[in-house]
Amino acid sequence: MSASSSQALEYLEQLPLQTHKKLYEQPSTVLAIFRCMLPHLAKSIVMALLYIPQPLSSFDLDAWFRPSASRLKKDSLYILEKLHIVEAKPRDTSRFTDYSLAPGFSKSLRQALEGSGRHGSFGVPAPPTEKRKVTIQELDDYAQGQWESLLFYMVGSTVGFHGSVGGDIGEGTKKLLQGGGFVAKNHGKIGITRTGFMFVLQDTNAQVWSLLIEYLKYVDNLGLGMSETDVLSFLFMLGSLELGQDYSTSTLSPTQTQMLDDLTAFGIVYMSHKGAKTFYPTRLAVTLTSDSGALSTTNPNEVVAPGTGATKKGFIIVETNYRLYAYTNSLLQIAVLSLFTKLTTRFPNLVSGKLTRASIARAVQTGISASQIISYLDAHAHPQMQKAVPFIPPTVTDQIRLWELEGERVETTNGYMLKEFQSEKDYREIVKYAEDLGVLVWRGDAEKKLFVDRIEQLQDVLKRQAARRR
Amino acid sequence: MNAIDGTDRHTKVDEGPPPSLLTIVLDTNPHAWAHLSSSLPLSTALANILIFVNAHLASGNANCVAVIAAHSQKACFLYPAPTHVSKRRENGTANGDVEMGGTSDRPPHSIPDNPNKYRPFSTVETAIVNSFTKLMEETHEVDLASTPTTMIGGALSLALSFIAKTTLLHAPVTSRADDMMALADSETTQAQRVPLTSRILIVSVSGDLANQYIPVMNSIFAAQRKRIPIDILKLAGDTVLLQQASDATGGIYMKPENPGGLLQYLMMAFLPDATARTHLVMPSAGGVDFRAACFCHRKVVDIGYVCSVCLSIFCTSQIQGNLCQTCGSYLSLRSAQMNPPALIPKKKKKKRRVGQGTDSATPGGSTPVGSGTPMHS
Repeated sequence: MSASSSQALEYLEQLPLQTHKKLYEQPSTVLAIFRCMLPHLAKSIVMALLYIPQPLSSFDLDAWFRPSASRLKKDSLYILEKLHIVEAKPRDTSRFTDYSLAPGFSKSLRQALEGSGRHGSFGVPAPPTEKRKVTIQELDDYAQGQWESLLFYMVGSTVGFHGSVGGDIGEGTKKLLQGGGFVAKNHGKIGITRTGFMFVLQDTNAQVWSLLIEYLKYVDNLGLGMSETDVLSFLFMLGSLELGQDYSTSTLSPTQTQMLDDLTAFGIVYMSHKGAKTFYPTRLAVTLTSDSGALSTTNPNEVVAPGTGATKKGFIIVETNYRLYAYTNSLLQIAVLSLFTKLTTRFPNLVSGKLTRASIARAVQTGISASQIISYLDAHAHPQMQKAVPFIPPTVTDQIRLWELEGERVETTNGYMLKEFQSEKDYREIVKYAEDLGVLVWRGDAEKKLFVDRIEQLQDVLKRQAARRR
Repeated sequence: MNAIDGTDRHTKVDEGPPPSLLTIVLDTNPHAWAHLSSSLPLSTALANILIFVNAHLASGNANCVAVIAAHSQKACFLYPAPTHVSKRRENGTANGDVEMGGTSDRPPHSIPDNPNKYRPFSTVETAIVNSFTKLMEETHEVDLASTPTTMIGGALSLALSFIAKTTLLHAPVTSRADDMMALADSETTQAQRVPLTSRILIVSVSGDLANQYIPVMNSIFAAQRKRIPIDILKLAGDTVLLQQASDATGGIYMKPENPGGLLQYLMMAFLPDATARTHLVMPSAGGVDFRAACFCHRKVVDIGYVCSVCLSIFCTSQIQGNLCQTCGSYLSLRSAQMNPPALIPKKKKKKRRVGQGTDSATPGGSTPVGSGTPMHS
């Protein structure tokens, strides 16, 4: 599971049962959720349960997992239950639980694997016409242009660059970026926010997901009568389409047709003109439900994804004396670099500069964290740098962290404090459980207090304790 | 200041499991499937395997699959479908072994546009079904009459070579020049690469593979060396060899009681890849039969004769011209049997005398004594 899909997973987790049920009616949605949202072990569990005739008891499940993996098992089951994929029913007259897949989910997943049913959820290809098809190269160019101009809108204005890289972005997109808190208007000037920075430094795939999740919230608030499930299942469907193939718009629901316009503006789909009968998914769309790593396929001739094109190659060289050379002429990349570097010289294919205390401090002040900077440098390290392990000289990474620490010496974690336990035994039990789950942040044995960052799973134990007392 | 610690410098661990390549060797021996036809017809089995393949592809975004048929007279690729000779010339790649590298090549026949099916699934399925039909059409009665068994050995070597090739192709290529660097300091660069975990699944229905003992054993050792687990799903028949294969390579061995439930066996036991297997309890062969087959008559033997030079196994001492069939060394089998151990007591005495004279505990002096002991009893 990559970082990009974990955002989508978080969003999915908080949806209610009804929405889940409706979502799972579409095989493409179910397949996409299975493919990229679930942790690896959860996939094994789902597949084991998929064709099993009777429910699997927790006893058998425990026997299947090694004792050392019990925490992973708990985590997987927790996610599966939260997404309402697995149903747990206590078996009568025994302490075991029966696990089975939710009927809707299992039906759709079976259909997806077998290719049965007549749901048409994997996109209806447009009938072949005389018209010339749009080539993959054109689609890539279009997607890259749209996406880069979107990013440049956020970064460029902050660092004081003028002009644009692709073209202007629409008013709707601007509103969405503001609504999502990626940019904020300050004295009539657009400035990037902390979330915006995080957004820019992510890889393209994660960016697309964050933007789409904002979009989901946005259309929900707008009250345009666009149903959440419709929007979501359309997004998942887009992820399972084929690049370079045109699809017919005739089978889409009104909500989805409405969405097409917005997605065209982001560069996720391509339509030759507004209201066209067909649409093409771009590479941004088809990689929605796959890791960006999946693009490094066995075929060396394959065109790399837009935006990540430079990522794959890598263009940044950092020396141990904090000098930085970036072989790029992309305005966007220069703008991103200038967020935390003191750039000095620019050549046709190269910019050079230095990482200084002041430049890092400025970045940290505006909300970029040291680890974000390091991971950006790491991800874009020049092939020449990639020969050393680690890519970035350790002295540089350490110094960036030190510079960051100068500013912030307190680390905060949001969470819950548990205290005033009835007995030592109760306290021990909770601490043990929290430790097993990995949610324990701090414990104070003397005062019988502990601090956890997530409480949902602990609540069961707390309730059990309360019941025992009564 | 603990945060500035060397340990978390390269925290770039890839979160996802590495992509896995599943190579399925499907035993398509018509004789054996005919026996099974009442409980599990071949068509049903193939349908189940297709679903299993889809499930594998769905389990990881970069997962790939290869299917090889071990037929009665030959072993061939079902997927990726071999590219045709004429087509190869067109491409202009003249390095002889393009045949099995057709991962990206679409099969020549078009894939029907099915809106109810995930596109990658239908690509794989169409290819497998087409090549399977072709294979069955090309099978003649003459071929079947000649041999009752199946070419597991050939299929295994195909699988291994495909895995080797895919692993090479899969390794992230930075640039052409870097390849030389990678070769030079392979120790460091190897660690950087995201490895492709591969495994082989043999769906076997025919028994008695002893006549292919040597090629199969060699493939097993190659797999062991490359750390490729060989999973065995034994639907019918029983062979010593395959059990040894899964045991030696750390794979799964299963001989289901009820072949009808093929899909559930596949989904539960054989789907988890190497990453998931570290957390799961996997079935394995209980008692493994380690008997070997002799090189001369391909029979499974309990006690045999071993060539002292090349370790070939023979079931009889009556070898032609007393020459090892494998390496051609002269084996004085007969003389070893004929010569009575008459001289040994004498020798023993001599050694003792020598031993008394010098140091009695020298290892050199004690060896002949040791070798003499079994002859006494």
